[in-house]
Amino acid sequence: MGCYFSTSKKAKTPGYEEPSVLASETPFTVSEVEALYELYKKLSNSVIQDGLIHKEEFQLALFRNKNKRNLFADRIFDLFDVKRNGVIEFGEFVRSLGTFHPNAALDDKIAFAFRLYDLRQTGYIEREELEEMVLALLNESDLVLSDDMIEAIVDKTFSDADTQGHGRIDQDQWKAFVSKHPSLIKNMTLPYLKDITLAFPSFVLRTELEDS
Amino acid sequence: MAEIVSNRVNTTSKISNKKQTSNLLLGRFEIGKLLGQGNFAKVYYATNIKTGEEVAIKVIDKEKILKGGLVAHIKREISIMHRVRHPNIVQLFEVMATKSKIYFVMEYVRGGELFNKVSKGRLKEEVARKYFQQLISAVEFCHARGVYHRDIKPENLLVDENGNLKVSDFGLSAVSDQIRQDELFHTFCGTPAYVAPEVLSRRGYDGAKVDIWSCGVVLFVLMAGYLPFNDKNIMAMYRRIYRGDFRCPRWFSPHLSKFLALLLVTNPEARIGIPEIMGNKWFKKGFKQIKFYVEDDRLCNVDDSLLDNEDDVASVVSDNSVSESDSEIESKRRNGPLPRPASLNAFDIISFSKGFDLSGLFEEKGDVVRFVTSVSVSKIMSKLEEIAHLFSFSVRKKDYRVSLEGTRESVKGPLTIAVEIFELTPLLVVVEVKKKGGDIAEYEKFCTTELKPGLQNLMVEEYATSSYSAAPTQPHPLLRVRTVPAHLSSEIGSPHFIPSDTESPHYIPSDNESPHYMPSDSESPHYMPSDNESPHYMPSDSEP
Repeated sequence: MGCYFSTSKKAKTPGYEEPSVLASETPFTVSEVEALYELYKKLSNSVIQDGLIHKEEFQLALFRNKNKRNLFADRIFDLFDVKRNGVIEFGEFVRSLGTFHPNAALDDKIAFAFRLYDLRQTGYIEREELEEMVLALLNESDLVLSDDMIEAIVDKTFSDADTQGHGRIDQDQWKAFVSKHPSLIKNMTLPYLKDITLAFPSFVLRTELEDS
Repeated sequence: MAEIVSNRVNTTSKISNKKQTSNLLLGRFEIGKLLGQGNFAKVYYATNIKTGEEVAIKVIDKEKILKGGLVAHIKREISIMHRVRHPNIVQLFEVMATKSKIYFVMEYVRGGELFNKVSKGRLKEEVARKYFQQLISAVEFCHARGVYHRDIKPENLLVDENGNLKVSDFGLSAVSDQIRQDELFHTFCGTPAYVAPEVLSRRGYDGAKVDIWSCGVVLFVLMAGYLPFNDKNIMAMYRRIYRGDFRCPRWFSPHLSKFLALLLVTNPEARIGIPEIMGNKWFKKGFKQIKFYVEDDRLCNVDDSLLDNEDDVASVVSDNSVSESDSEIESKRRNGPLPRPASLNAFDIISFSKGFDLSGLFEEKGDVVRFVTSVSVSKIMSKLEEIAHLFSFSVRKKDYRVSLEGTRESVKGPLTIAVEIFELTPLLVVVEVKKKGGDIAEYEKFCTTELKPGLQNLMVEEYATSSYSAAPTQPHPLLRVRTVPAHLSSEIGSPHFIPSDTESPHYIPSDNESPHYMPSDSESPHYMPSDNESPHYMPSDSEP
């Protein structure tokens, strides 16, 4: 009951990669990758019909509003856009979502979160970055805190994480901090990904996976 | 650990020493014996070679379903089984496919078909009643979600190793969005012996009433050991079904005979409905409604803990529950059993961002509501219970997590709201409200019209009771308080905010208003939270 992947190509979106290849590099099965392709097609044709996910399409999916800017959504988009060409291709979409799979390695989740918070991509999370992110969150939400309180919370968090007192958090310190506060990466797991074949079942009729 | 109702058996030890065979499906499942087969599908026992999990895999021939025009049926079956998660319904875990086959990976039910038990002889009344109660629980759950099975028969009823019933095979089931404008189904499917007369007559029919008829036939078979309308001649059997021509054997109790007479009424409009079934004297005997919830993709009993903590049991709060006082909560906190609310650091606060919540890619979700308050945890808890009581919601409490569960079923299940309280500072908490289940529109309406105003009133009341002291209280220096011009706020009963020397009120102008308003000396701006604004902190007497 083994299988191999067919070489016959139907019209695919630009940047399409074979599900068998993506499945071998991620926690997803071939069927899950094919189901993700159904989702990808839906997202990538919601605003601009070119089969690639643009920032507006990503924002539309997350916020039901293509013009809503959000620092954190921008950061996630930038990390998904590995090629830095302003769009998320199918392979990038699957590999990036792989980190959010419930079965993905914890270290991968921790590393992804670190890159997310390292706004200036210096290899460290700096105090200014942390404060900027807290302010961005308060700006988008109903939470109202005074400047003094923001300072106090940022200072306390930073001193807890920056155990060496260098004024910045490196990857090892971040890993240690997360191990003490596992809730920090709860957003890095999407239970929905376990049910992806049930949520997007149309792939069963379009699959190119052969029986051997 | 919350008990998992769903039977997913881990047998890693059993298979770890087995030699790898060529009997592997898509490199993941080792296929075992054939469990059963139908026109379009075969069902095999299988084990996941990675986890050792036992499953049943339904293998469907794609060519047959394409020829039979059943493509929509298959997609519908997947969407239905994705929608219905219940302890008495066989769960679909995932779907796989190749060019010629579709594979449904399902919960493996070890005990086999209920039909096998009946074929050995009729069941005792208590046993039959238990199975029937579980069948009705499953059917009620499906009907509330607009799902009708339409092929209920003993072969589709399985029994697990604990003797619990599991309904399987939604292959012929239908969703309410398939109904024509006259609100009736117009297709014939199902097994003749269990099929309602209105289906045989090829008229439109009500899927719910058809299922009830089939449940009645199943109950008769469980108790009698034979079919109520059986006849060697199929046309004669049809005639008996049309006429509702059956006789209860002498060993049936009078209550059971009367009950069956209500279930097997040929006129669907006169046939008993689910609420009447559940209120029936024969049915109610020993009946315990299964209460469960889905947490982290698992089915858990409602009286299990909200968290994965073996010795912590969530209290299921009834309408007349008594809330603990602040002092009781404080003494509990000091003595150990009740932990403090989870304390938030800067990264926790950042993680509240909507931009981090990628679940929006997969489903539409209601907005999460959060606000900061100095109101005590016990008062927040009491207020939530009060709101829940008003709307007949049940309440589950676990430390600083509260779950409000509606009783009104909808296509997406009852409205379930999770409220969690976090500590920001020793004096301030963040209250987070989010939808866990049910309809988005219903959630947003409930939040806007009931939950938010109720909690806002609590904060206004808290401020009002603490503002009768001689000296006017100062706002907490750590909070910015949005204030509203006096001429825009209600004159009566609105708490007054008096700015301190060091702090000017942070007034946020509305779109049509000049942003340059500053209160005159003689005028103190009044604080009143608007509908779309989060309730803000108001200091109590005891605070600096």
